[in-house]
Amino acid sequence: MYRYDSFDQKFIDERVAHYRDQTRRYLAGELSEEQFLQLRLRNGLYIQRLAPMLRVAIPYGTLSSRQLRMLAHIARHYDRGYGHLSTRQNIQFNWPELEEVPDILADLAKVQMHAIQTSGNCIRNVTTDEFAGVAADEEIDARPYCELIRQWSTSHPEFDWLPRKFKIAVTGAPVDRAAINVHDIGIRAYPAPGRRSGTDGEDLFDIKVGGGLGRTPVIGALIREGLPARHLLTYLEAIMRVYNRYGRRDNKYKARIKILVRAMTPEGFKARVDEEWSHLENSASTLTPAEIARMRAHFRPPDYPPREGAAETLAADRLRDPSFDQWVRLNVSAHKQPGYAIVTLSCKPTGVPPGDVDDRQMEAVAGWAEAYGFGEVRISHQQNFVLPDVAADALHDLWRSARALGLGTANRNLATDIICCPGGDYCSLANAKSIPVAEAIQQHLEDQDYLHDLGEIDINISGCMNACGHHHVGHIGILGVDKKGREYYQISLGGHSGDDASLGKIVGPSVSRDEVIAVIQDILDTYLAHRIEDESFLHCVRRLGLEPFKERIYAKAA
Amino acid sequence: MPKLLSLNGEFESPATGPLAAGRHRPPWPAENGDSMVRQGVTAAAPELVDAGNWTPECGKGVRLTVDDEVDERFLAANRIAIEFPAFNDGRGLSLAVLLRTRHGYAGDIVATGDVHEDMLHYLRRCGFTSFLVPDERSLDTALSTLAPYSDYYQASVIEPQPAFRRIGRGA
Ligand code: SF4
Repeated sequence: MYRYDSFDQKFIDERVAHYRDQTRRYLAGELSEEQFLQLRLRNGLYIQRLAPMLRVAIPYGTLSSRQLRMLAHIARHYDRGYGHLSTRQNIQFNWPELEEVPDILADLAKVQMHAIQTSGNCIRNVTTDEFAGVAADEEIDARPYCELIRQWSTSHPEFDWLPRKFKIAVTGAPVDRAAINVHDIGIRAYPAPGRRSGTDGEDLFDIKVGGGLGRTPVIGALIREGLPARHLLTYLEAIMRVYNRYGRRDNKYKARIKILVRAMTPEGFKARVDEEWSHLENSASTLTPAEIARMRAHFRPPDYPPREGAAETLAADRLRDPSFDQWVRLNVSAHKQPGYAIVTLSCKPTGVPPGDVDDRQMEAVAGWAEAYGFGEVRISHQQNFVLPDVAADALHDLWRSARALGLGTANRNLATDIICCPGGDYCSLANAKSIPVAEAIQQHLEDQDYLHDLGEIDINISGCMNACGHHHVGHIGILGVDKKGREYYQISLGGHSGDDASLGKIVGPSVSRDEVIAVIQDILDTYLAHRIEDESFLHCVRRLGLEPFKERIYAKAA
Repeated sequence: MPKLLSLNGEFESPATGPLAAGRHRPPWPAENGDSMVRQGVTAAAPELVDAGNWTPECGKGVRLTVDDEVDERFLAANRIAIEFPAFNDGRGLSLAVLLRTRHGYAGDIVATGDVHEDMLHYLRRCGFTSFLVPDERSLDTALSTLAPYSDYYQASVIEPQPAFRRIGRGA
């Protein structure tokens, strides 16, 4: 993973000092609320319903055991002992004191972490596939490019004061686990035809713009194919300049780049960007082979000691222990390296707000990453922990330890692996609570013995149309709405965030909190009644359309 | 009275101004940068004419709004002001970058309107050379926040080379 050199370290140390001074000036009355708001947002500090919330950047979801231990320390020392994994691979602390934030940032800087640009109208933390670098199906480890984008976008002189927040995602695998279709910029990296990445030839990028969720969900438009890697930053510069100059600033709901792309049409937008880029192509910001190679070296795979007989041990463990077998089937993914596996530690046991983890769990995960891997941890946008390098014959041990700490639930991608925003319990923008809804659904499904038989179902919940819970791309999406001061929920079906991304369609009138469970049950019953053999939920919804679901849900009311 | 904080002193002729040398680096942060900058502080607001009324003969600076396009005529002005409707409106940053890098403008670019001290380091790196600091903002704070970082990752108007081309970075 990336390790800071003295340049990086100096920069974040100066960032801490800078922010400390801004906080001091605010507390001394030299900065108004509005002025300080803009400054603190560029350092991840929101003022929420109950207290400030600090969002710490976990660049592209990769962190070391040492860094995770520091997060545990921060949870214990400055917060109430827990943190919340966000849908953008970051971690949020809900109870810090505004006065103590500079100290938290100083602690983070000790382990090469920061909160720069995790909120505000600027380029946010770049995200990627949580399996980057280890997935068996991967063509390119996208993280070196993510780090190049991170450095380029950090305190960019021209692009830190955009019309609206700006999110970039990169993936290097044919199966899109980074949701590049619903980002402001989505990048698919791949090796030049007939060549292998990092050995010969230059990687290429396909670039999509204007995807996004929120009020107006849109799938991104492809505006560039096969861009050679050296042009990455200059091409991004061209896109950002067009957006910064022409994106709307009069209405915050129309300020995202997707609205500009739609207004100009994707072809018109592309023409503007290409014109701008014609002045920037081959300028000094063009990446050098040395810089790309330096970045790649940071992400060189570890030397994997061979695990003789690992596959046999694992097979025997699975045979002996059916619950372990089920967990392996769901939560363990194929690794590039024979004898190794990728483990998803579910942070969605029933009864805990999805993505909430306490300091003991963080310490334990940090320890397992060292004991069973090479000291590296990932955060997924599904709000789970991932251990990228576990020897296959150690899985059983790991699972037993994880279970003891509530991290061994076998539910990855199942209906109880719910993506959920903080909602009305924490967020001042919410129309409705989301955490209790997630919990009620988990509780309900847990009691059904067919949970596993349902197979993969993504349920995504947002407390308002800002869509932090990505409800548009949930197979089942749940959106909190306000009906005359009461909490209601709008249900949609058929959303999906992968390669064949689609946006969910609303099934009908919104329902009250009490009715949500019955509606979910109706949807699942309809699926079970109509599915053909082992047809997936998503496939079934796509084949049937909304009608049969509608009929079932609203029949009783009629 | 707003105060004009100027990094480059006089801008008599675009052709001979300090920026014409090619490397758009103002004297800050020089060893005695603080005093150099202070020398550039004057109480007099620059004389400006709105873009619509400006002529090359008027002898005054031209005032642009953040959503104006660059008109080649303005490049003859010895001073171009960009008026910020709100301190966090980033359009003025791109406009200044275009003036410097695309059109080679070498005169003074002054930020006017809602100029906030915490924006100065961005403005400076986008090619602004003067700032009309509003009355209610402190000049001392403005000076102390002019350069909060000793170096940056990216290229900018005042540092055309990104860090990865200038310094050996650790692997
Ligand atoms: S979706 Fe709305 S309620 Fe949920 S976290 Fe985002 S802004 Fe808050």
